[in-house]
Amino acid sequence: MGRYLIRRLGFALLLIFVVSSASLLLTRLAPGDFATDQTFGVDPAVRERLRAELGLDRPFASQYLSWLGGVVRLDFGQSWLYSRPVSTLIGERAINTAMLATAALLLATLIGVPLGVYSGTRRRGPGRWLVRAISVIGISVPPLIGSLLLVFVAARTGWFPVGGMTSSAGLDQTWAQWLADLARHLPVPALALGIPLAASLERLQSQAIESASREPFVAASRARGLERAQALWRHAWPVSLRPVLGLYGVMIGTLFSGSFVVEVVTSWPGLGRLMFDALKARDLFLVAGCAATGALFLAIGTLIADLLLAWSDPRVRAGESA
Amino acid sequence: MNRQSRALLSLLLIGVIVAVGWRSCADQEESAGEIVVSDVSTRGGTLTTSLRSEPRTFNRLVDANFPVDLFSILTGAKLIRVNRATRAIEAGLAERWTASPDNLTHTLTLRDGVQWSDGAPFSAADVVFTFQAAYDLKSQTVLASALRVNGQPLKVTAPDARTVVVTFPATFGPGIAILDHLPILPKHKLQAALDAGTFRQAMGVTTPPSELAVLGPFMLRSYLPGQRFVFDRNPRYWKKDAAGIQLPYADQVVLEIVPDQNAELVRLQAGQIDLQQQQIRPEDIATLKPAIDQGRVRLVEIGVADNPDLLFFNLRTPYWQKDPRREWILTKEFRKAISHAVDREAYANTVYLGAGVPIWGPITPGNKEWFSPNVQRYGHSLDRAREILGQLGLTNRDADEWLEDKNNAEARFTVLTYRGNSSLDRGSAVLRDALKAVGVAVDVVPLEQGTVIQRMFKGDFEAIMFFFSPTSLDPSMNPDFWLSSGSAHIWNIGQEKPATAWEKEIDDLILQMTAQADPAERKRLFDQVQGIFADNLPAIYFVAPRLQMAVSNRVGGLEPAISRPQLLWNVEKITVQGQAAR
Repeated sequence: MGRYLIRRLGFALLLIFVVSSASLLLTRLAPGDFATDQTFGVDPAVRERLRAELGLDRPFASQYLSWLGGVVRLDFGQSWLYSRPVSTLIGERAINTAMLATAALLLATLIGVPLGVYSGTRRRGPGRWLVRAISVIGISVPPLIGSLLLVFVAARTGWFPVGGMTSSAGLDQTWAQWLADLARHLPVPALALGIPLAASLERLQSQAIESASREPFVAASRARGLERAQALWRHAWPVSLRPVLGLYGVMIGTLFSGSFVVEVVTSWPGLGRLMFDALKARDLFLVAGCAATGALFLAIGTLIADLLLAWSDPRVRAGESA
Repeated sequence: MNRQSRALLSLLLIGVIVAVGWRSCADQEESAGEIVVSDVSTRGGTLTTSLRSEPRTFNRLVDANFPVDLFSILTGAKLIRVNRATRAIEAGLAERWTASPDNLTHTLTLRDGVQWSDGAPFSAADVVFTFQAAYDLKSQTVLASALRVNGQPLKVTAPDARTVVVTFPATFGPGIAILDHLPILPKHKLQAALDAGTFRQAMGVTTPPSELAVLGPFMLRSYLPGQRFVFDRNPRYWKKDAAGIQLPYADQVVLEIVPDQNAELVRLQAGQIDLQQQQIRPEDIATLKPAIDQGRVRLVEIGVADNPDLLFFNLRTPYWQKDPRREWILTKEFRKAISHAVDREAYANTVYLGAGVPIWGPITPGNKEWFSPNVQRYGHSLDRAREILGQLGLTNRDADEWLEDKNNAEARFTVLTYRGNSSLDRGSAVLRDALKAVGVAVDVVPLEQGTVIQRMFKGDFEAIMFFFSPTSLDPSMNPDFWLSSGSAHIWNIGQEKPATAWEKEIDDLILQMTAQADPAERKRLFDQVQGIFADNLPAIYFVAPRLQMAVSNRVGGLEPAISRPQLLWNVEKITVQGQAAR
């Protein structure tokens, strides 16, 4: 287990290094730069001075090496767009994204998995087809349309705030009031992120449990006198979790590195929006920092999924092929 | 009842609950339509507005972008102010001023008893310090060039605590309106940074609000990155209205950071913001119609925009040296043919859904003071366009639909434009279709804004269609656009000496009008500039949109102006009634 964890840690570090370096290189190579964007119509001397100040007049290799030197000392550089340290910005936004991602993940799990078990264990009936139809719609609607639709419903009904993470009254609130305020703002972005994931989970879970319930050990457990529901939940469901947990790794990585579409539409101040703003402004170090964070979350997500898989499926722990 | 029937019944019940909920919300909205708000000036309330992006700094001297400018308008004060609605010069921190007979020396008397928000007294020393900072070589401020006349800095002295003497190196047409650029900064807070050479880093966005001493109507209370700014009224603000009520009227201003224009619109509909920072897109008016009909939102007419879309060619001759098209693409006749080919009425209808006026130059009717209606106009005529193209040797020499020149080079050019801008998307499509009708092919290439600007600076383009905002409505304060040496002389930036006779002529006239104090003479000279511009068409203008802004009916006391921020420039007099939705 120890060697496995070390191997995964090494892979995560390599992934972070490659992703952040590539994003730095690609952003630098793309036409346009931060100084040019910010200084249209301004004295050219000011523009040149800004370029020199930001290191844009230096060759990429020199700029990259000094950035890498900083990274080794855990200094990810200064954001040009926000004039603040990249690590501080990412820390602030990562917490916001983590809150949203956790809510969306819980929502997707609580809706998608039970519905998947329901539709996968029904052979006939309108319920199975209804769930399947809703899931197909949930998967098919792009996040942009889904989030705009939810924002529209929130605006039309007034049930939830249409954007932001907290209200401006938050300055004088106690912790409990702040949490309640946050909870009022969460549903729209969490649903926008969670519905497509719930639909994907439902589809995957449905197929997996349908397949698992045909396994001989489920029939054997029924033959030993177990109720159908008991046989399904105790024996078929843990086995069916393998593909579902495989998807979890990707879901955790994607959700925790932020969805710029949902975060922009719902004005959620998270990592996705930060990355989007950084890319638009060609803020090199911030782009690299956001990309590295996304890679880190992806690595962590995959690791968590592997550990959950090992926990849920005794065959994996035993090293058998499923 | 079996399990499936129960499930179906449950679904039906959920549907009924949703429908009832929806209906009751619709009822609430209808009753909201009965709210009647007057424009009576009243104290109190919170004005909530939106901001697309965040400032990099709170220091207006080192950054010219809109968020910093808005921050400066909310929290800062100037010696004098140009009223953006009337264009008149108004007293600010200086309550009165006199000019010497030669208009070179202006003596300003500062208001008595003005205090910074932290209680420190404001004096002439703060004014002198601000000029020092603006001209400081180490700080390289963005205002340094705007505060120069003929390339020379103004000389500023303070004979006593309430008197400031500003001496111009030469007669300057706009006079003390130049001081409208400069928000006064607190010497007691920033002198140390200037001495240490760290002025550029001073007033960064992480500065605690308590450290930001201001003279403006509002002071920063909190900044939540990515979320919002909250400003409280400055209890020490020095301005009062005609009835003697201390300004500002509103107790608080909240700037919600909403990066997406669609999301901003939805928030306005939901009553969560009171006004947007940008004009409403024509296509969004239908979306807002229910809220307008219910009396929750109204549209405010701003006027004709001063930053219309424009098309210009790269007029740097070296770029075209090896190109066979150089013989006709660089000529003013070719540009005139384009101007004739485009139907401006159709352009206004397609691009701005009818809310636009045809224009023939960079100064639009929105700039009432400087607009000249008498410049040469190129009416819509495909026949005239074809005739001009024929005179340039462009005829159809093969079986396709495009014209060719005598070297068989096709009449075709590439237009770079900003990606994702709806008016430019539609405008470039109108241009492409209009020129197709006369046999000229246009390849439109939408790119990121930064890429277009970089290629423009490098001179690596054939033609560009975009828009940009002038820094001032007075042409003398926009020399970078008009002068051939200017950094915003977009068709041929930063020329060492004028490349053409007409550019030399414009240079001379702009310098003359800048050195002229008589307003009538300045206008006469600038009318000549507009005439030369219209004759040579270095940039082709088609339509200027009529601007409208959507505002909550809670808001009163607005004085719309065409320059940004169109409504908040006079934030101290804006009133708000009732509560915004949370």
